[in-house]
Amino acid sequence: MAVVTLRNITKRYDGGAEAAVRDVSLDVGHGEFMVLLGPSGCGKSTALRMIAGLESISAGTLAIDGVRMNGVPAKDRDIAMVFQSYALYPHMNVRDNMAFGLRRRGLPRGEIDQAVSETAALLGLSPYLSRKPHALSGGQRQRVALGRAIVRKPKVFLFDEPLSNLDAALRVSMRAELIKLHQRLSATMIYVTHDQVEAMTMGTRICIMQAGGIVQTGAPLDIYRHPVNTFVAAFLGNPPMNLLPARLDRGQGSTLSVTMGDAQLALPPNLGNILLPHAGRDVIFGLRPEEICESSGAPPGAASLRTRVVAVEPLGAETLLVLAAAGCTSEIVARVSRDSMARAGETIDVHLNLAAMQLFDPQTTEVIPIQQEH
Amino acid sequence: MNVSAEALYVEPTLRSARRPLAGHIARSLLLILLAGYTAFSAGPFLWLASMSLRTTSEISANHYALPSILHWEKFPAAWFGSSYGTYFLNSLEVVVAAVIVLTLIGAMAAFAFARYRFRMNRVLYFVIFSTIIFPPQITIISLFQVLVDYGLFNSLVGLTLVYIAFQLPLTVYILESFFARVPQDLFDAARMDGYSDGAIFWRVMLPIGLPAIATTVILNFILLWNEFLYAVVLIADDAKRTLPLGIQKFMGDQLEDIGMISTGMMISVIPVVILYVFFSEKLIQGMTAGAVK
Repeated sequence: MAVVTLRNITKRYDGGAEAAVRDVSLDVGHGEFMVLLGPSGCGKSTALRMIAGLESISAGTLAIDGVRMNGVPAKDRDIAMVFQSYALYPHMNVRDNMAFGLRRRGLPRGEIDQAVSETAALLGLSPYLSRKPHALSGGQRQRVALGRAIVRKPKVFLFDEPLSNLDAALRVSMRAELIKLHQRLSATMIYVTHDQVEAMTMGTRICIMQAGGIVQTGAPLDIYRHPVNTFVAAFLGNPPMNLLPARLDRGQGSTLSVTMGDAQLALPPNLGNILLPHAGRDVIFGLRPEEICESSGAPPGAASLRTRVVAVEPLGAETLLVLAAAGCTSEIVARVSRDSMARAGETIDVHLNLAAMQLFDPQTTEVIPIQQEH
Repeated sequence: MNVSAEALYVEPTLRSARRPLAGHIARSLLLILLAGYTAFSAGPFLWLASMSLRTTSEISANHYALPSILHWEKFPAAWFGSSYGTYFLNSLEVVVAAVIVLTLIGAMAAFAFARYRFRMNRVLYFVIFSTIIFPPQITIISLFQVLVDYGLFNSLVGLTLVYIAFQLPLTVYILESFFARVPQDLFDAARMDGYSDGAIFWRVMLPIGLPAIATTVILNFILLWNEFLYAVVLIADDAKRTLPLGIQKFMGDQLEDIGMISTGMMISVIPVVILYVFFSEKLIQGMTAGAVK
């Protein structure tokens, strides 16, 4: 286990106008499973490669257990990495692939063999030790790549989108295996992915990156419930959060309502009081699909919105409704019960749980704080 | 739900399978064509092999007949009596040394060009590769003078160095394009496993690059084994002649002895055939590697 500290890490390539990684500061604690999440090109893999020592650091400091690592070769950092493409040596069998790194250290052969056997048993690879990578399935290759990292007993494990090349079913099972492995080894792990499902299910903390910088860091559910801007709000969650242009309008007394298209939704009194200073302001109204339900099951006095059903997507365990509200430029997605009888073209009323809404500034896209209990 | 590509693949059905007679005719025509081409390609070689075991008088009596008596004694006669043994060993010495050095230096250079970013990378690569455009006739006179100046004229060492120099661009070109296709992750993994760049070259790149290296070994061996122009200009002594020069000299002295000429040619062809038999599988792999992921 180890603590990994990044302070103002920047990576600039020769001839590049923009930095690939800008001023990134991050602390990964002992035994933590930190997930670097973001879209392609956001700099997460570059950041990981700088931690690994495969890319030089243009500015800033990297430390592992308080020891500065800038300029230290990859082989001296006591880090193991699992690559997206597995990176197995095609001319070696599984045993040799796993032993390759240990042989470099000059360990006795018996010790190497024992370490390889134990790790192979842990990962269910014992029957395949004599096979070469081309004779293994995708999942088996990924486990060999994992075994090659584990057998070295490193301080830190790095994963660069290791599940991207697997099919959906295998990805689910490998995710569970990685979670179990983390619990068993209690190792510090830094995991890069663009898949928000992997991030939500595996990470103790998620670090969301965009355009080379960190946008938000925190526990998965914290980020899910309290995104700092529209990018995070839309990136996490499947389907993503509904983001609609709206306006906060003042009603009689101190009541406040949200105007979206032709609809005006009255805010609960507690929210109205908090948001009163923002009356008259244009906002982006955010609400997750699971906070929208059909009005037949809604509590009395709930905010109701009349919509037209554009499409119905039955997923088996639930149903997604794509809705259009009068005057709204964007469609609304609602996650409703699997027993929904809604049909495309129908007009239905849906209930919006305004207690779970998020409001964002249209110019800065940052969240407008709403102090409330969920 | 994702479905793998294999599950989506459907075996194509040949139209000819639905019309058996047309299929038979098509296959028969194809066989005739292939048989004709095989006869065209292999025929001269088989004829040469046949003549190498017949005497000149037998060949004169019937050019194309198969040997009635196998005159194996012609081979030791050519080897010892006509100095073919000496020419063969000279060729072997020069070509094997050149191919070994070409493979090592060419592979290292190709590895550096393919995997490292440095300031003059593409310029140096272009300079080396551009020398291919110069035919030997342009460089031969200058080379002659250079070898004389350095005391390497009429020496097997000088000839070996010349062979290395003019085959290096092609070797680097073939290997560089192969090495460039090897995924970067393999190198990164080896670096993280603690291996230096040199160790990565020997323990990772060379084994992976074996198909491409086999290709260059075969090509270089065949080209250099049959090379005539540089050898005839740069070698003067009979004792230092390579096989192509030996055959040419033998033809000059014994123009009518077709039987011995054939035997001598067979001696020169056999090593190339043996090399191809051992390396051909790797050659095919080298040519098709990367065609299918």
